[in-house]
Amino acid sequence: MSRPSKTFVNRVKVSERHGAAEWTAERASSLILVPLTLWGLWSGYVLAGGGYDAAMAWFRSPVNAILLAVTLLVSVWHMQMGLKVIVDDYIHKLGSRGLLLGLIGLLCVLIAAAGVFFIVRLALGSAPLPAGFGI
Amino acid sequence: MSTSPLPGDASNDPTDDQTGRFVVQPNGRIRPLSPHLQVWRWHVTMAASILNRMTGGALSVGAVLVFVWLLALAFGPDAYATFTGWMGSPLGLLVWFGLTVALCVHLAGGIRHLIWDAGHGLSIKAADALAWVSMVGGVLLAVVFWVGLFASGRILL
Repeated sequence: MSRPSKTFVNRVKVSERHGAAEWTAERASSLILVPLTLWGLWSGYVLAGGGYDAAMAWFRSPVNAILLAVTLLVSVWHMQMGLKVIVDDYIHKLGSRGLLLGLIGLLCVLIAAAGVFFIVRLALGSAPLPAGFGI
Repeated sequence: MSTSPLPGDASNDPTDDQTGRFVVQPNGRIRPLSPHLQVWRWHVTMAASILNRMTGGALSVGAVLVFVWLLALAFGPDAYATFTGWMGSPLGLLVWFGLTVALCVHLAGGIRHLIWDAGHGLSIKAADALAWVSMVGGVLLAVVFWVGLFASGRILL
C-alpha cells in the first residue's frame, strides 16, 4: 500500500499516521499531571489566604517556581488537546471549527508564554511590573 | 416474515427482547433502534465520562484564573490585593470551590481512564465501581480540601 500523501482522501480524513501519537500524547500528559495536580493542590492550600508576602516568599524557592512552570506548560498542552477533541466532536462546520481551534491555540500560547514570563520574574524577585518597560 | 436481526441470536433476539432496543417499522418489519443520544439508557460509566469532559472544560476557565493570579502577583502588592479581594469574596470563594471540585473529579476521572486504557477494570462490575469511586472520591477530596482551608483559618468568610 502506498503512503497517503494528503490528510484528506475523498474528503475523508486519513488519521492512520498520526492518530496514535495524539492518543499517546493525551495519556502521557495525563500521567505527568497526576502528581503535579496533587502538588498543585498542596501549593494552593499553602498559599491560600497568605497574601502578597507569603506568595513572593513561596516563589523564592526554585523548586516551587520550576514545578509551577512545568505544571503550567503540561496543563496548557493537555488543555489544548482536550478542547480540540471537544471542538472536533461537536463543531462540524469546517470554517467555524478552524476559527475556534485557532482561537484556542492562541489562548494556550498566550497563557503558556506570558505565564512562564511572570513565573521567571517572580522567581528572580524582579520589581513589580510594569518596571523595566519604561512606562 | 422478514426480521432483522435474525431470531435465535441470543444477544439480539427481537422476539423476546426486554430492553426496548427494537422498533416495529410501519411496514411491519422489526428493526434495531438506532443508538442515538436520546435512547441510550443512563449508565454510571457514561455519566462519569460526560462529567470528565465537563470538568475538563470548566478547568480551562480555572487555567485562565490561575494565569490572572500570576499576572496580579507580577504587577505588585496593589494589583494582588485587588485580585485577592475579588477572589476572597463569597462569590469568588464559590467559584474556587467549584473549580476545586472540577479539578479533583477530573483528576480522579483521569486516573480512572488511565486504568481503563491500561486494560484493567473493564468488566461491567469493575467499570461501574471505578466510575462511582472516582466521582465520589473526587468530590470528597475537594470537600476535605476546603474543610481544611476553613478549619486552619487560612480562609475566612
